[in-house]
Amino acid sequence: MNPHTVFLVLIVLGAVWTACWAAVLVSTRRTVPFERLEKSETRLRLILLGGFAFVAIALFALTLRWLPYRESRVAKMGAPHTTVTVTGMQWNWALSTRQLPVGVPIEFAVSSRDVNHDFAIYDARGRLLAQVQGMPGYTNHLVYVFPAVGEYTVRCLEYCGLGHHTMSATITVTDR
Amino acid sequence: MTAAERPVSTAVLAPNRANGAALRASMAYMVAGLGTVLLMGLLGLLMRLDQAGMLVISPAWFYRVMTLHGSGMIAAVLLAALGGIAAGVSATTPLSARALWIALVVYMIGNGFVIFATLVGGFGGGWTVLYPLPEHGIVWSLQAALAMYAGYFFVALGLLIFCVHILIAMKRARGSLAKALAWRFLFSLGRDKRDALPRPVELIAVVIAIDGIAAAAAGLIYLVPLFAQASGVVTSVDALFAKNFVLLFGHTMANLSIYITAGLVYAALPAYTGRAWPTSWPVAAAWNLIIPLMLLNYSHHLYADFAQPVGLQLLGEIGSYAVALPSFIVTIIGALALIYRSGIRWTVAPILFALGLWGWVFGGLGALLDATIPVNQVMHNTLWVPAHFHTYFVLGALAFALAYLSSILDALSETSERRGTRAAAWLYGIGGAGFILMFFVSGANSVPRRFAVHLPEWQVYARIAVPFVLLLALSLAWLSWDLATRFGSAWRATRRAVAEP
Repeated sequence: MNPHTVFLVLIVLGAVWTACWAAVLVSTRRTVPFERLEKSETRLRLILLGGFAFVAIALFALTLRWLPYRESRVAKMGAPHTTVTVTGMQWNWALSTRQLPVGVPIEFAVSSRDVNHDFAIYDARGRLLAQVQGMPGYTNHLVYVFPAVGEYTVRCLEYCGLGHHTMSATITVTDR
Repeated sequence: MTAAERPVSTAVLAPNRANGAALRASMAYMVAGLGTVLLMGLLGLLMRLDQAGMLVISPAWFYRVMTLHGSGMIAAVLLAALGGIAAGVSATTPLSARALWIALVVYMIGNGFVIFATLVGGFGGGWTVLYPLPEHGIVWSLQAALAMYAGYFFVALGLLIFCVHILIAMKRARGSLAKALAWRFLFSLGRDKRDALPRPVELIAVVIAIDGIAAAAAGLIYLVPLFAQASGVVTSVDALFAKNFVLLFGHTMANLSIYITAGLVYAALPAYTGRAWPTSWPVAAAWNLIIPLMLLNYSHHLYADFAQPVGLQLLGEIGSYAVALPSFIVTIIGALALIYRSGIRWTVAPILFALGLWGWVFGGLGALLDATIPVNQVMHNTLWVPAHFHTYFVLGALAFALAYLSSILDALSETSERRGTRAAAWLYGIGGAGFILMFFVSGANSVPRRFAVHLPEWQVYARIAVPFVLLLALSLAWLSWDLATRFGSAWRATRRAVAEP
């Protein structure tokens, strides 16, 4: 999922909503008896109800196909080629390896030594690609396929105290 | 405002001898809440200046300010909202001024603890006080964390007192909570009208009181093990359990603000449009549905916690979609229908109500996208998250609360609003829209939230946002000044008012 696509969807939907909202505000220069609007209001509600339900069901179906959880990703991508153990701690990441192959499923087994962290992978252009929480007492498994060779930055996205913004690491992805 | 320019009907807002004291308590909530919002907003400006690279705040202070800004804003907007709903209910249902004042004092004691913990104790664990960070702060003490917990305890207790009182008052007035929730009317699909129906604002007050009690209970369930651990009774608390309960508490607190203030739209907008907004079947159905749905959607903040059962993750997504449905189909469409071709005069209150409708939907769109699990993978904990809830707050709940206070003053004050204040209301919308849009742009460019130091390539978004934040601050100060100059007259009017016919 590309964050810019999500933003574009927001802007398009937001523009449609803003146009409808503005039209209602401008309409107040003229008046009609409220009783004459009641049937139209009910009809509009039913149309919107149907439309909203359709979109919600479609989004939910897409969600089921694109779940980020381990079983779903393994079913789509295949068994992990490599497992990387990741431990978050205030304010560092300990990774069992920082050299990884491109184009194959990598499993990150993420936990924490102290507080909640969030293991987030950024590409060289600064785009967030995937994330999973590192929680004390739990190990969360993120399966991810690096799309290209290069340097990737790991940041912590769960606020973890004074050095939160400094908590980063680098992963180098190479040809196998 | 001349007599001819007065809202069409202000009868529902008019105080009588029975509710004057309760109305004064309600107005005190609104003033305390909105006053705190102004102060917390200034802290927000400091943070945005820091992120723009235009002001240097040390990370320790940034995170303390961030913690106070977040917790203070949530508490302040909710307080103003509670005051508004109490004012709305008190017009027709007797409320105990003593109970309202007790709840306010307890709530403000909680706020005092939070201020003490952050500014004096150095606590910077974030408003979510996510276990176990408060106890692993390194730069703040366990005592500071306990002071923060104490603050949340008193805020939850104040909310609990308020909500229990609303339920008792409504039960006493209507005979039972089932009648206060219009259940006979609801379950007969609108055919059985033997029970006198509650006004929408009364129905909504009962709904939010039930969810408010649930939120307060979740907060107390979260805090008890933490106090137990701090005192050595237990050695550790499960991190996933703690996260579920703190978000059920905090997220519901934030949600309550928007849903309560939506109730204020029902209470006041009809007076400006000259059209009635009674408790129809869709209104009764929508608000009864809100009771369970508001408690389900918090879990969209746990999608990245892969240890959470997948069923709960999917329930979070379904709950997030579902809660939007009654709000949009019934409340937003109902309010727009009320305005459409109504000949409404665009004074300050209706302008702010209209802006609130825009913000509620726009923020809702951002929230719905983020509540979709694959989208959340690349948006969670970026500035997209504060983008959507700042839209709800600044251009939703706060706009509604300001509008409602303005409508109370329209009804009670002998001093009219200044014509120029209408410009301030529109500027508030422009400033707010620019401010939140830059948060959305930042989120779309993967800028993390809660970072004291922004990379140079991220600072441009905050720099563009700063003028809008300043516009927002100036317009808010302008609006507040106008409200303040009219407030005294309205306060006095609550003492000498006569019973409405």
